[in-house]
Amino acid sequence: MMRKRAVSLLLAGVMTLGLAAGGLTGCGSSGNDGAEKVRLMVWSPSEDQSKDSGEWLQTCCEAFADAHPEWDITFVYGVMDEASAGEQVAQDPDASADVFMYANNSLEPMRNADALVRFGGKYRKQIEATNSQDVLDTLIMDDNLYGIPFTTNLWYMYYDKSVFSEKDIKNLDTMLEKGVVSFPFVNSWYLPAFYIGNGCTLFGEDGKDEAAGVDFGGENAVEVTNYLIDLAQNPNFKIDDLGSGIAGFRDGSINAMFSGSWDSNAVKEALGDNMGVAALPTYTLNGEEKQMYAYAGTKAIGVNTHSDYMVQAIELAIWLGNAESQRLHYELRQVVPCNTELLQEEDIQKDELVMAQNTTFSDTSIIQPLVNQMNNCWTPVENMGKGIRNGSVTHENAQEQTEQMNEAMNSDGIS
Amino acid sequence: MGIMKKKINEFPTPYTCRNAISKGGMETKLSMVLMGVGNIVHGQIVKGLIFLAAEVAYIAFMIAAGVSCIAMLPSLGSVEQEEVWNEALQIYEYTKGDQSILILLYGIASLLITFLMACTWVCSLRSAYKAECLAKEGRHVNSFVEDLKTLLHENLQRLLMTPPMIFIVAFTILPLIFMICMAFTNYSKIDSHLVLFDWVGLENFKTLFDSSSILGSTFWSVLGWTLVWAFFATFSNYIFGMIISLMINRKETRAKGFWRFCFVLSCAVPMFVSLLIMRTMLQPEGAINVLLRNLGLIASDASLPFFTDPTWARVTVIMINIWVGVPYTLLQLTGVLQNIPAELYEAAKVDGANAVQIFFKITLPYMLYVTTPYLISTFTGNVNNFNVIYLLSGGDPVTDMGATAGKTDLLVTWLYKLTVDKQYYNIGAVIGILTFIILAIGALFTYRRSKSYKEEGGF
Amino acid sequence: MTGKKIHSAKKRRFINNTIVHTVLAVLAVIWVFPIVWVILTSFRAEKGSYVSTFLPQSYTLDNYIRLFTDTSILNFPQMFMNTLFIAICSCILSTFYVLAASYCLSRLRFKLRKPYMNMAMILGLFPGFMSMIAVYFILKAIGLTEGNLIKLALIMVYSGGAALGFQIAKGFFDTIPLAVDEAALIDGCTRWQIFTKITLPLSKPIVVYTVLTSFMGPWLDFIFAKVICRANSDQYTIAIGLWRMLEKEYIDSWYTCFAAGAVLISIPIAALFLYMQRYYVDGLSGAVKG
Repeated sequence: MMRKRAVSLLLAGVMTLGLAAGGLTGCGSSGNDGAEKVRLMVWSPSEDQSKDSGEWLQTCCEAFADAHPEWDITFVYGVMDEASAGEQVAQDPDASADVFMYANNSLEPMRNADALVRFGGKYRKQIEATNSQDVLDTLIMDDNLYGIPFTTNLWYMYYDKSVFSEKDIKNLDTMLEKGVVSFPFVNSWYLPAFYIGNGCTLFGEDGKDEAAGVDFGGENAVEVTNYLIDLAQNPNFKIDDLGSGIAGFRDGSINAMFSGSWDSNAVKEALGDNMGVAALPTYTLNGEEKQMYAYAGTKAIGVNTHSDYMVQAIELAIWLGNAESQRLHYELRQVVPCNTELLQEEDIQKDELVMAQNTTFSDTSIIQPLVNQMNNCWTPVENMGKGIRNGSVTHENAQEQTEQMNEAMNSDGIS
Repeated sequence: MGIMKKKINEFPTPYTCRNAISKGGMETKLSMVLMGVGNIVHGQIVKGLIFLAAEVAYIAFMIAAGVSCIAMLPSLGSVEQEEVWNEALQIYEYTKGDQSILILLYGIASLLITFLMACTWVCSLRSAYKAECLAKEGRHVNSFVEDLKTLLHENLQRLLMTPPMIFIVAFTILPLIFMICMAFTNYSKIDSHLVLFDWVGLENFKTLFDSSSILGSTFWSVLGWTLVWAFFATFSNYIFGMIISLMINRKETRAKGFWRFCFVLSCAVPMFVSLLIMRTMLQPEGAINVLLRNLGLIASDASLPFFTDPTWARVTVIMINIWVGVPYTLLQLTGVLQNIPAELYEAAKVDGANAVQIFFKITLPYMLYVTTPYLISTFTGNVNNFNVIYLLSGGDPVTDMGATAGKTDLLVTWLYKLTVDKQYYNIGAVIGILTFIILAIGALFTYRRSKSYKEEGGF
Repeated sequence: MTGKKIHSAKKRRFINNTIVHTVLAVLAVIWVFPIVWVILTSFRAEKGSYVSTFLPQSYTLDNYIRLFTDTSILNFPQMFMNTLFIAICSCILSTFYVLAASYCLSRLRFKLRKPYMNMAMILGLFPGFMSMIAVYFILKAIGLTEGNLIKLALIMVYSGGAALGFQIAKGFFDTIPLAVDEAALIDGCTRWQIFTKITLPLSKPIVVYTVLTSFMGPWLDFIFAKVICRANSDQYTIAIGLWRMLEKEYIDSWYTCFAAGAVLISIPIAALFLYMQRYYVDGLSGAVKG
């Protein structure tokens, strides 16, 4: 026991020394007297901080510091991509950044961990003034706003313009007659698009009614399952898994795929001028055209409830999400903006990718439900996709398997 | 040998705690309250002061943090974070709430420190009594320097074992007790008990043993496959490794080092890299299927269902595990094989036994005899073989839509899915405990019966 | 008669040898094949994680060059140095722990010996990652989850449980004749001197084996490192870096670099194996030769 104490004492000693050293160097950089000393930790993906892509975060933070001479701010940057930020912040909010970027699907876990600051009063008004209600809805739970959106986060369609015409891409089945289409069939972020298209719902109309549950059963869902079984057997349909879609674009064996902005550079490289981007097509189910709907989300800037400098953290978050920062983000890293004023500007209007992403968001997507029970909806759908691929789901048992999927989506898998 | 046969007390000593309390003198009895007094009285000043310092440090710790940590344990905290609107600043401000997970961890740590303190207390009492007895008998009482010197000789184990033990307690035992405790709470995403949770007793065990619940039925099927997997993974590796090892070590095999290197090379590539690459290669559109199609072995649109058919998937993971494991087995067995007494082989040859007979009559029994502990640890290692399954098949295929586990999921990968993906920490802990109980019973039973255990340690 | 017998025996031996060598060759190909594939991939000029052809269409060195020059997103050289540092430190610590514990359990008799051995066996049966969160919070409580102290934290985590894996080294020490110790004791050596001056020099193979196995750990672990490093990208180890290259955003452009990175970290390990193969085998056989 004594030894243990000795060890921790020693460590404490080492720590103090380290902190003292840190404090000393920190002092050297501080300039103006009388300003309140502020230490803000900011997390962003590494691309936002790298020299090669223009140090977006540092540029914006320094601009923020210049705009606020009343605060003497020391920034601490950490690398955390939006997808993992939610998990990390929820695990230990106390040791997480004051300001961080997160994908809105982790909103509920962070809220459960009491980690997300809610915006009210003048700040909320500011945010509401420059964003569309659809975008804001992705960050609102129980009428509380939890972040400043800076881009939409969803998938749409890339296609080869030399194979498909503007008219072809309106319908998936027309496309399948003309070329090879690849779809992430075994990924449950994509597959529900077909079910939602035929009237299946998740947690009520707005996706926020936990009590309403999931309706992925019944006749309309079985119809979709049957459609999917046929689709998987179509020789012109390829399952996109482990990067086979983009590889197919490269060697020309695939002419259309479904993905998001993260693949845009690779697609551009593979297709060059023939690259086309479009919102989701419809599919033909029993002679009727049904629209596919993607799960839509946003990436947002959040503030930690454990922050010691709440006002500064909120101001910084607003700053990082404002029109200038979004424009810089777009220029440096092609991050599609969502600020309504920015979207009206001419050069952004002309960008095909921005338009496809935003059309998909407003027309062919539903807001990905944020409720806790959404947690139960991923595995069963993935199992359905895999089952169809593996041939264990057939026309004979489609009814039964669809019901099972629906039941599983409504259960926590425990009882 | 003599010492080892006395099972009841191998290390008899008159300086026990009980004797100290009943027969000890005033200064020894005083040591019960003020640790180290007995030592100081008898001239062991530094040692006594160290005991005293330990006591003071402990009391200080308990007052500063320990008592409150332990006191919080039964409730696990109940203060929720509060939100206050600040009209002037137009922001919400937050008060600090309780975090059950930290309360649990610190509480356990405090209890552990108390336990260690109790051990120190016993030590100090014994040491005081010993010093008193020695002084009474007029024998030499060790000075502090002399005590330190014994650490290099008769008490060497204290010097050598203490540092590793500290780390084991801090990074293995403490987390383990913590994990076991989680099984008796409702720490889970269900009803969002991730910040504040409570004790629920045996509730989680009940759910698991209720075979009508999804969890219950999944558990038994996963357990069954886990045992089957561990058996095949262990013995396929063992036998295969032995055969390869025998082939390489035959007198007439040339370039032994080269062959060995070929097999061992696969150890050098990090396991997660080679497994992920295998996974990519074995996909329906992966390299292996493409190769087979190009060679005309399968139809041009067909693919072998490596991870998509339950039986195929199970065989595939076992086969790949052979690829992963045999090099290690090879290295471990080569040495043992070389140690098989040559006379045994000579005798068998004289009797006219052929190679196969020799293998089954001599090599295998000898190997089993020598390597039982190794086999047991490989078996338990395979039950907990997370990497191979998680990186290779990810538990696929799943045939039952509602199940949280696939057909190749082991208990440990299922546990990972439940804790990391679904955040059912309590259920994960229950499964961890049950896995452990099954393994512990099996392993200790086999191990204690094995000859190598019985003969171990006899001088 | 006898001549013919000898002849046929010779012939049979020849056939046997051919069969054994052929089987070995086939197996060796199977074993080496995925590694060759990794190496080929690391030289592949086409991008992407997925290829429809079996062999690369064209070859390049760019993947290796990029690994060391394109450091803005994933700083491979820094991760390499971090891992090397952690590996060396934790290797020294765990080697000491393992050898010390094994020696005590093999040579000394003390009250906690049997309980310790049973405890070690039991602790080995629990799945390690369940303790991940607890380990993180313990490290945080002693203040080791920020800045350069993370390295110390990782060293402690990797070497912490080392003394539980004493079985192989203990088995080796068991085979060293006791007479050696007794003679030294009569000569007035202390136990410590016996351990450092006699037992260890006699146990070169097992020392090498222990060094080798404990050196490899930090290169391979991708679970603990991630939990402990969190947002501190300057503390990342190789395994996290390689793992990140497989994320959705990176996999397409970084996959071939991933293979190159894998090859690079395999080279030192493979070289060590090659060099120490003899010791490794001897170490496990538990035999003292000569």
